[in-house]
Amino acid sequence: MKDAVEFRNISKHFPGVRVLNNVTLSIRKGEVHALLGENGAGKSTLLNILHGVYSEYSGDVFLDGQKVCFRNPHEAIADGKISKVHQETNIIRDMTVGQNVALGYEPRKGAFVNYPELNQTVNQILKRLKCRFRGEDSAAILTAGEMQMVAIAKALFHKANVISLDEPTASLTIPETDALFQIIQELKAAGMTIIYVSHRLEEVFRICDRATILRDGDCVATLEVAETTREEIIRYMVGRNVSAIASRLQERRAQPEKVLEVKHLSCAGKFSDVSFYLRKGEILGFSGLVGAGRTEVMRTVFGADRASGGEVLIHGRPARIRSSQDALRCGIGLLPEERKTQGFNTFFDNTGNIALASLKRFLRLGFVQEDRKLSNCKKFMKTLNINPPRPDFLTRNMSGGNQQKVILAKWLSTDVEILIFDEPTKGVDVAAKAEIYRLLEELVAQGKSVIVVSSELPEVMGISDRIYVMCEGQITAELEPADFKEELLLNYAMGGKDHAEN
Amino acid sequence: MLKIRLKSRTRELTVLAALIILIAVFSILDSVYLTPGNMVDIIKMATINGILAIGITFVIITGGIDLSIGCTFAIVIVAVGQLVVEGVPPLLAVLLGAVLGVIMGFFNGLLVTKMNLQPFIATLGTMSAYRGLAYVFTGGWPVLGIPDAYRKTFTTKIMGDIPISILVLFAIAIITHVVLSKTRFGNYIYSVGGNEESAKLSGVNVDRTKIMSYAICGCCAAFAGMIMLANLGTGEPASGQGYELDAIAAAAIGGTRMSGGKGTVLGTLLGALLLAALKIGMIVVGVQSFWQFVVTGIIIVIAAYFETIQDKISTAMFQHRNRTQTAR
Repeated sequence: MKDAVEFRNISKHFPGVRVLNNVTLSIRKGEVHALLGENGAGKSTLLNILHGVYSEYSGDVFLDGQKVCFRNPHEAIADGKISKVHQETNIIRDMTVGQNVALGYEPRKGAFVNYPELNQTVNQILKRLKCRFRGEDSAAILTAGEMQMVAIAKALFHKANVISLDEPTASLTIPETDALFQIIQELKAAGMTIIYVSHRLEEVFRICDRATILRDGDCVATLEVAETTREEIIRYMVGRNVSAIASRLQERRAQPEKVLEVKHLSCAGKFSDVSFYLRKGEILGFSGLVGAGRTEVMRTVFGADRASGGEVLIHGRPARIRSSQDALRCGIGLLPEERKTQGFNTFFDNTGNIALASLKRFLRLGFVQEDRKLSNCKKFMKTLNINPPRPDFLTRNMSGGNQQKVILAKWLSTDVEILIFDEPTKGVDVAAKAEIYRLLEELVAQGKSVIVVSSELPEVMGISDRIYVMCEGQITAELEPADFKEELLLNYAMGGKDHAEN
Repeated sequence: MLKIRLKSRTRELTVLAALIILIAVFSILDSVYLTPGNMVDIIKMATINGILAIGITFVIITGGIDLSIGCTFAIVIVAVGQLVVEGVPPLLAVLLGAVLGVIMGFFNGLLVTKMNLQPFIATLGTMSAYRGLAYVFTGGWPVLGIPDAYRKTFTTKIMGDIPISILVLFAIAIITHVVLSKTRFGNYIYSVGGNEESAKLSGVNVDRTKIMSYAICGCCAAFAGMIMLANLGTGEPASGQGYELDAIAAAAIGGTRMSGGKGTVLGTLLGALLLAALKIGMIVVGVQSFWQFVVTGIIIVIAAYFETIQDKISTAMFQHRNRTQTAR
């Protein structure tokens, strides 16, 4: 039997980076095939090639033994019967379920959409998926799990033979996940081929037949799930030398004084009963999977979101932080995860962005002194090695790593003593990563304290003095360096059994 | 340094160039156009729209819009008119009028921030409500018999033929320019419009910045209204209709970005002058008045198109420079 999908020697470059390196991989008809790997290993890129999002790559893709090259996602759906199950965030809430499912491919009668036919088709599919809602219902009333079902219905609507699911359970509850797996089993029994991307290994063991592991753009192994172990998969996933980059060169400097202490902090629906502390001169890691609630905790500590309970102590004294201005007054800075949408002003040049949080330092008689802003900017361009060192360049035109440094400079311009970095190296190339790690060390050497939220295990283990692990809105573990093991962290991050003990 | 300053002023320079070309063309068509008296007329004509436009520029830079300025304008006209008719000293009346404008702008700001309404809808609502209040206040009748003492505060001519109202325009322009470009508050206005979330996460009090912008906008509308009252000598509750659109047009021509983050007082002022120069020019050369609307519309569209081209050019220039720099 020919394979449903075969990738042969696929390589893909982005400017300056190789994201896929000679990947050869075949997916059998009617199997559930897991695609595993850390962030940035190349899973999404591979899927995007299959779905026609990227049409420029080297190597060949075969469907049922036929060589194909889709120029856009529409061709992949129409000609290849390949459909991607998007995450529930792609549902348009203001339209009906049926309209969502058929979006772009509505059956027509003359110039008008044939809604009776559309809803009839959609309802048949929803019935097959055992959904309780109907095509005529508004999408706004659906839960996250139901939205995921709508996304699957969309794939079935396109009569897909191959569907891919990218982290489908990321925002699902346990019963919803069970229902989803039931459907996946049934689709598989009906002969459909499913590519399944997930960071949650137990799911892979529950529903997948085979698993392919990507690491830094290489295909390192394809395993029969029934014959492998969790440990073996994790070993393949992490078996590399990244920790050589994310390591500490300077001695650790954590002092006993607690500069920040968070007690029983809760935010309804996002996280609950989160308690932790940060010592002076410490780099504190926050590990966990995407969506574990780490970003939300940090935003609440910073005052950007409201807490529904708990308290924050700065130097042992209760602090009322209800806005980012309060946080600034208490000496807390936050470097947000989404640089482009939250980190800097699109229309400001580097000088303006760096000065924004510390404008009162540049005032004379109430007026902002441009020359002081400029010399401040130049100072940080030098110390942080910002490239190109041009104060008048718009920050949006800088590269990712340098944007990150500009945002860092903004906070260093203030006199905050606690800095929270949310995914500081996200989208940053390897060389800039190493520089950012050095900067973190510099900061603690100056007596500042740092919290690093990171989803990259080698990174968080390499640079932290201590690590908290979060899962589903709760802290599941607090680890000292002696316990920094990827297996252990992954286990806690995925809600591992051991957390019952605390 | 000068080069950098001029570069960041490209937009204003373009509008200035367009204004000069326009004046040159009309002067060739009719020599009356270039007389000092006519130039003063152009500025006079630009005064009310200019002040309104400067105010709305603040709001637009924060990413908002204020449709109610024409109605704030009307309320201030009838209220101040009534005050001076009843014998309140002119300067005190002006002060009270300004405060009234601030209050109405402040209320718009509250709706937009504390109730989290979309600026378009919030000020569409207050636009209707403020207009209604102006009618209710006078029972639909104009306020008549505005004393000369009040009218003279704005219409007295100094330095030959220049009325005080023009000085008020320039005074407002200079003050707002300094506020916008030299103060912390000004910086915050741009930061809120360019990226509200990033501004918030940088410790900027976003709500306060927005509310103050609306208040400034209301205050400007009040001054425009009080000048109108002095010019006409009657307080007409129906006045100011459609003025918000002229003000938006002036701001847009001057390079204010409608979704926020960009714009200058100088650009807006030049935009208002350009519109006035165009109107007067068409009157002087005798273009039928209906065509004036058509031409004004075309100018707005061209200005907007120019903005997108300019963006493209500057991006291309940046990429070119970046390449040459890496090559070195």
